[in-house]
Amino acid sequence: MRRFDYHRAETLEHASRLLTELGDDTFLFNGGTDLLVEIRERLRRVRNVVDIKQIPGLSDITYNETRGLTFGALVTVGRLENLSLVRQRYPNLRSALASLGSIQVRNRATVVGNICRASPSADTIPPLVADGAFVHIYSRTNMRVVPICEFFTGPGRTVLAKGEIVTGITVPPAGDNTGKAYLKHGRRKAMELSTVGVAVSLAMDDGVCSDIRIALGAVGATVLRAPQAEAMLRGTRLDAEAVRSAADKAMEECTPISNVRASADYRRDMVGVLTGRAIKQALETFA
Amino acid sequence: MNMTTPIEQREFKIVGKSVKRDDVLEKVTGEAQYTGDIKLPGMLHGKIKRAAIAHARIKSIDVSKALAYPGVKAVLTHETVPRVLHYGSPHPRSASCTKDQYILDHKVRFWGEGVAAVAAISEEIADEALDLIEVEYEALPGVFEPEDAVQLGAPLIHEVGPGGNLVLDPVRVNRGDIDKGFAEADFVLEGTFAGGRPHPAYMEPNVCVADWDGSNKLTFWTSTQTSFMVRGILAEVLGLPLTKVRVLVDHMGGGFGAKQDLFQHEFLCALLAKETRRPVKMEFTRHETFVAGRSRHPCKIWLKQGFKNDGTLVARDMKLVYDSGAYGSHGPGVTIVGTTAATSLYRCENVRLEGRCVYTNTPINGAFRGYGVVQSYYALDIQMDEAAERLGMDPAELKLKNVVRAGDIAPSGHPIIGHGLEICLKHGIDVLDWTTLRGRDRTPDPKRPHIRKGWGIGCEMHGSSAYPGIKEQGNATVKVNEDGTVTLLTGAAGLGTGAHTALAQIVAEELGVRFEDVGVIHGDTDVVPWDIGAFASHTTYLVGTAAKMAAEKVRAAVLARAAMKLQVSAEEIDLSEGKVFLIAEPDRSMTVSEAMGPSRGIPAANIVANGTYEPTKSYSFAAHFTEVDIDTETGIVEVKRVVPVHDVGRVIHPIAAQGQIEGGIQQGIGHTLTEDYVIDKKTGRSLNAGLVDYKMPLSMDMPDIETIILEAAPDPGGPWGAKGVGEDPIIAIGPSIANAIHDAIGVRFHHYPITPEDILKALREKGA
Repeated sequence: MRRFDYHRAETLEHASRLLTELGDDTFLFNGGTDLLVEIRERLRRVRNVVDIKQIPGLSDITYNETRGLTFGALVTVGRLENLSLVRQRYPNLRSALASLGSIQVRNRATVVGNICRASPSADTIPPLVADGAFVHIYSRTNMRVVPICEFFTGPGRTVLAKGEIVTGITVPPAGDNTGKAYLKHGRRKAMELSTVGVAVSLAMDDGVCSDIRIALGAVGATVLRAPQAEAMLRGTRLDAEAVRSAADKAMEECTPISNVRASADYRRDMVGVLTGRAIKQALETFA
Repeated sequence: MNMTTPIEQREFKIVGKSVKRDDVLEKVTGEAQYTGDIKLPGMLHGKIKRAAIAHARIKSIDVSKALAYPGVKAVLTHETVPRVLHYGSPHPRSASCTKDQYILDHKVRFWGEGVAAVAAISEEIADEALDLIEVEYEALPGVFEPEDAVQLGAPLIHEVGPGGNLVLDPVRVNRGDIDKGFAEADFVLEGTFAGGRPHPAYMEPNVCVADWDGSNKLTFWTSTQTSFMVRGILAEVLGLPLTKVRVLVDHMGGGFGAKQDLFQHEFLCALLAKETRRPVKMEFTRHETFVAGRSRHPCKIWLKQGFKNDGTLVARDMKLVYDSGAYGSHGPGVTIVGTTAATSLYRCENVRLEGRCVYTNTPINGAFRGYGVVQSYYALDIQMDEAAERLGMDPAELKLKNVVRAGDIAPSGHPIIGHGLEICLKHGIDVLDWTTLRGRDRTPDPKRPHIRKGWGIGCEMHGSSAYPGIKEQGNATVKVNEDGTVTLLTGAAGLGTGAHTALAQIVAEELGVRFEDVGVIHGDTDVVPWDIGAFASHTTYLVGTAAKMAAEKVRAAVLARAAMKLQVSAEEIDLSEGKVFLIAEPDRSMTVSEAMGPSRGIPAANIVANGTYEPTKSYSFAAHFTEVDIDTETGIVEVKRVVPVHDVGRVIHPIAAQGQIEGGIQQGIGHTLTEDYVIDKKTGRSLNAGLVDYKMPLSMDMPDIETIILEAAPDPGGPWGAKGVGEDPIIAIGPSIANAIHDAIGVRFHHYPITPEDILKALREKGA
């Protein structure tokens, strides 16, 4: 493993300053489950890591009916996964959390770390995109809140400027009329990167779909929405025929690549299958 | 060994019991010392610079910057290491290998091959120094597929060997009259088959530590299955007598066959230690276990067989091409074993086989559990299923009709002992009520209409020992100490299978002492008797017999000494559970400790005996019955249930044998469905050399496995009829899955791995 220097930040201001002053090849060190692997496998050149785990105030989880669910940057995947609130209100997020890595990895990894790595195949991104989550960003001059679908600019790339740090995520409240699902497709059942991941978040009023968001993972440069498929479904009763047509549309809306995990054609096929299945599963909430 | 040799029957006290392995506690607590745990004062760390080109001549190599880097103590290149042509797989009695390797060469033959080595005061510094080594290459055209490599005018990878990129001359086997056979056939099946490049992915990456002492003696710790071969070839290449090379191996984290080569890093580690006069450790990264380790030979097979309408197999014509990668390694052995194996499994009098092994500019393929037979039996067993389909027969019935039986000539050339395979098949058919399973209602479950279920059978047989390719010898030394405890000295490596426990059980049983009183000393070439290595499913069979022979001798000596002390004749006494007693008067007894210890002017004794055994071969058998669920929308195949029925002769340690079977099934599910080490066919670059994109099944992917072990065909060549079990399970599971897939969706696959994409594509072509 290549050598790097370790810095412990005491405050957000300190961490932000270190990120700016230490120059390129400086990265935040949170759960470390991706960063350390990348260093070991020489996928990322790292000279400095800035450990933010001692910074106070980043470990909170709160929920209220108006603001929704908010969790800090240090909240681990495992901690969120095991919250009954998440299980009940955000089954799509819960399913993504439970499918990330292994139990050991989930006990170290953070959701915010998974977001900031900005991998198109990251498990936690599709449900947060489908739910319309917001990203809280700290900088020494101002704070800003960015809708998660605007946060990513490409594979591994985000809107974060030098010295900016994500402090937490807010997921809007989940009403009783909502149904959610996340389905992951991989080559095995655990310790797997998704070949395709599809998250759905929908709302039903009097049997009619009043809103739906479909987020597609690992089939584009970032996690994608399927806006045309969504539009085809809004105002329908989500009957089998409508869902099938929308799933076909989602296949057209994605832009997958071929690699050692799967071909582009197969990924596109799976977008169709998983979109249909995810909508069906989300509807089971009302059954 | 002949069939009429009786197998001793007795009431077993220790053999056949799952005694507690004496290494489990230290392993689960992390106390067990593996080679990677070794730290010596002043130890340096070695790293290898690897080529990022698949075929090239090295024009120049400049190490000056690396040598000047703070902390670097030595750098070696092809210009500074001894230029000795040597074997990759140094089986000492095998004549089939070609010497085709140098420690470092001025030529690169595969992407990832080592071109230089660095020793530094830390692993990190050594790693950083690699970037400072400047290599200028003259690129050569590469060949990445055997069919390209054998074309006229293809670039030659080696100057040695038979030429034309062949690793060895084609292996040809002819029995009976092939033309007559096909003339008698009512119908003929013909097909091509292809196997991928699975990698064993043992838990412990290759690692070694070298240390030279003041008398110019090399002590060498290494994770190897073949410590005496490492000693022999290190001594040969370094120009040392065997007394000046001591190889040590204690615990190992697996090998699966792939740790029986002499690796480039092992030479380099020894040379760096010599150069710096300091101990040096070299440990592979996981990436290196792929590029510089050994994988299974990809194989292309053409198979044509003739059948009679009653199901009789009358002709088998088969051509196999194994891809050796850039060096010979085990290519010759794998080709010979994999090809000759096709004389058997299903009876056929008229057989024509041709096996080839071809160099390509890809990472080296070597020994891996199932040694060439995984490939050839995949083809044989699937085509047998196809014949059943053509005949409208139950595949179980057709396989039962054709499986080898006692007296048939085995691939090794001697008659098969026992109806093992027939009994395994029949047992599975009965236990599962196979006929009912075949005739079950196949309507999909309305709740999961996209799921199809299927059942398939895969058969296999595999030899214990590498005879006749290698004439083997097993050795054991047994000592009875003056306190009545017993020490077994063996050269057999402990890969983690529990082999030493089985050997201790055999000694305790034969000698008549408690299992707990037998200690095993292993893995030190200066101390233990010579050993050929732990491979070919033979440790229990081969070394177990040697240990039994040695134990038999010391037992006689113990009885003689006790008789003297008891003042009776040796015929009047017996020895059991650590006690010598009069047969006629069991209350008159003494412990082995009392027999061995000093008394009334008689000094204490230490009785020592050696056992040496030169076996032929026995065959173990298995039939695997496998259920799969197939998602027809995603193409995902899930193995739900496996009933493996194995005949392994006498079972020494049931839980260890079961563990071998379950582990083999796990690896076999892997190579059949998900595992494939992929090499780019244009550049020779590795595309998934690591566990991120090389996917082995994990516990959650494992089916229910209901292992059945029969003792139906004990072989007189092994201790009380024991035979091998290590390789068998990985052979039968593959075709059982492929046949189950056909049963589920009516599509035949002739390759592995069978990916979800393959399933979907085939379903679409079928118009389902």
